[in-house]
Parts: sequence; C-alpha cells; structure tokens
Amino acid sequence: MELIRLETPITAATARALLLGQAFAIHGKILCGRDAALPRLVKMAAAGQLGDLARHLEGSVIFHTAVSPAGIGPTSSNKVEIESSIAPLSAVGVRIHLGKGAISAETVRGMSAHGSVFAVTPPATALLMDRIVSRKLLAFPEEGMEALWELEVSGIPGIVVAAHGVTR
Amino acid sequence: MTVRDRVRELARAAVITAETTFRSDQYRAYERARERETGDGARWALEAMLENARIAEKKGYPLCDDTGIPHLFLEVGEGVTLGGDVLTALLEGVADGQRALPTRPMGVLGSVPERLSQSGGLSDDPAAVVPPAMVVKVVPGAELRITLMMMGGGPEIRGKTFRVFHERSAEKVIREAANWAAEAAGQLGCTPIIPSIGIGRTHYEATTLMLEAIKDGDLDRQSDLEKLVTDTVNATGTGAIGLRGSVTALGSFVRVGPARASGIRVVCMRPSCAVDPRRATFVLSASDLQERRSAGP
Repeated sequence: MELIRLETPITAATARALLLGQAFAIHGKILCGRDAALPRLVKMAAAGQLGDLARHLEGSVIFHTAVSPAGIGPTSSNKVEIESSIAPLSAVGVRIHLGKGAISAETVRGMSAHGSVFAVTPPATALLMDRIVSRKLLAFPEEGMEALWELEVSGIPGIVVAAHGVTR
Repeated sequence: MTVRDRVRELARAAVITAETTFRSDQYRAYERARERETGDGARWALEAMLENARIAEKKGYPLCDDTGIPHLFLEVGEGVTLGGDVLTALLEGVADGQRALPTRPMGVLGSVPERLSQSGGLSDDPAAVVPPAMVVKVVPGAELRITLMMMGGGPEIRGKTFRVFHERSAEKVIREAANWAAEAAGQLGCTPIIPSIGIGRTHYEATTLMLEAIKDGDLDRQSDLEKLVTDTVNATGTGAIGLRGSVTALGSFVRVGPARASGIRVVCMRPSCAVDPRRATFVLSASDLQERRSAGP
C-alpha cells in the first residue's frame, strides 16, 4: 500500500485533503501525550493559557502514546481523557490525532468542524522505535511517561479512519 | 550457581523473551492471516505487525511499549519442595528483567487516594510494576514449571468477568463470551485479538482459568469451542487495527474448569491483544532443585 509523505507542521489545506483510508508516513516533529497530559492541555487552552505551547500545537500531529525507555505505541484513543481532548485540541491547531480504536460520531463531528482528522497506527513499538530521531520533554514533567513530549520522527505510519465528519 | 541464582537468572531471561519475541505459532498465525486478508489497509497493518516482531527479536526491543504487568503461574509437581527463598528469587529475577529491558516505568506512587487518582506521581523504576499474587497449581510429576505472562492495559479496559445463565446449553455460554469478545474487538484498537476465556464457579476461578488458557494456548491447535469464538469475532469484519477485514481474531484460548450445581457459570473474557500472549516458561526438576539446594550457595 502506498504511503503519502507528510511533513510537519501540517497545513490546514493538507489536513482537509486527507481522505478516509489514506495511508501516510509522518516526518518531522510530532507531539506525544495521553491520559494525563491531554486534559491539562485542554484546560490551558480553555483558559487561554497555552503560552508557548500554542506555537507547538498549530499544525501539529498528536500521537496518543506514552514516551518511555520502553518506546512508544498507540494507546486507546477512546479513553475518556483522550477522546474528550480531540475536538478542543483541533480548535487550537492539532491537524492529525494519531492513536488506536474507534471514536464516537460526536467526537468526529467536533474534530471535523476544524478540518482535523483521526488516524490509527499499528501497535508496533519496535518498528516505531526505529523511526525516532530525537525526543524532548515539552511540558508536565511530573507526569513521567504521561508528560507532553515532542519527538522528531522519520516515517511514523498511519491511516486515516475519521475525517470530514465520517468514520471509516 | 545456587538455586536462588539460577531461578533469578531464568526469571530475568523470561521477561526479556516474553517482551521481545513471537513464538513460532504466533508467526504462523500472522502469516496465515496475511494470506487470507483481503482488505488492503488491514493487510498492511498485519504486515507492519510482522515486521515489528522481526525488529523486536533482532534488536531486543519490546513488541509493545505497554510492556504490561508481570503475572506468574506456577505448576508445582507433587514431588517438588518449594521454599520462600526460591519464590523471592523469582520476584527478584522478574525485577532484574524489567530493569534490564527496560520495561515501561508506570508504577503509580503514593497513598491509597493518590494511587487511585494518580496524583502522587510515577516511579522511575520499571520494577515498581510489581506482579500480583502468583497462581500456584499442584500438578502430577516432579517438576517446577514457571510461566511468566506480561499483561498489557488495553485488554484490561475491554475485559469482563460476569455470570452467564447457561439454560442447559454449553453453546449458549460460549456464544455469550464470544459476543463479549466481538464487542470488545470493535473498541480495542489492537486487533487482531486472541479472546482468552476462563469459565468456572467463582470470579477468582474464572480469572485464573483465563490466565491458564493464556499460559497453554496454541494458535496452531484450536478446539471446537475456540474455533466458535474466533469465527464469531471474525464475523464482525472489524479487521486489523479496526481497518475492516476478515481477520479480527487470530485464534482463541478457552479453558473450562469444574462446574457447580447452579443455573449460572462465571465467565472471564480478556480480549488479549495483537502482541499477546507475551509469555515465557521455564522448568526446574525436583532433583535439580534438591541437589542444588543441598549443595548450598
């Protein structure tokens, strides 16, 4: 299957052009966060207190994963702490939410209103570890592996499963 | 080498093996799945998971970053004398393996309320992810057989232990469990799954039978009950990582225990995920334990 190459930051036009079933490989910097970090980001965004993080979120890919010495890999995006972040973080510039599992029609509608998409990636930690160029702790260090991380990656694969208000 | 040292080293190695390698039946099950999968996306995902297994084995990386909670299942032969020192060495060896790989440091620190709310921070030590109480089963023979299973979090979100009214039908019981697995597969994300099912008289028994099913399960050898569960899950068309396809379950592991006079059976269903079962077994003979024990450190 052919994977299109996506470079971060992702423009709004690029995100809107992504179609259901389209497979891609991401190159560049991505954000990684999950149960602990994402609700905190949502609260900061709602309070208008994102500060410098706003710059990182615009045009970003957020991978729903922990970052630890054991590597990275998708966690269930339909956990309430994660799924409830998808629409509000789309509103502040996240273009691709990358994780696993099915998300609700309501979440898809909320996300799609901002032109963002949801994609899944295989649970393939060893393969993904080979594609990490560098990692940097960005926020919430007290959350340990559940902190917000920025990774530079080369070819993290994904496939679009929800876009334009529709789920595959 | 003392018995303690040997057990500790074997347990350390078991963690690394369970976390980084597919057994041959897993490889064959994935290859069969790839051959029969007709969905492009799902086949791509299956190929990526096979590639992942090869890289993990070659480079010693974890198959999944959720390296799981270590579970220990001990089969103790009637002729085996087992002391607390050996069990302590076993736990020490698991901790050694967690630190060596390393596994994911996800042990939550703090008081009861802090642990419940995850407000007391996390330990940096991978070995803070301690095993729950071991399952010990007395078996015929003169061997100590120890199986380590690493249990990730995704299946725990979607697993279920509950009573089923059998209505004098074995098929009714297994179909209900299969339906739970089919529902779980649609939400889990890490498909193809291996529904792992224990059926017993109490919640504890059903859960330990589920664990025993994972310990013994073989994707190359499936019983009629296991085939029924697999077919039910595959009929959903969920496919690998939810991309729609014909392979949603690679196979199933089912263990049925004793029954009591009652209209219900207690069923434990864990939708083991795409990298499961992450397990490793090692065996010590009674004589080996005895000789080494008497030889002293």
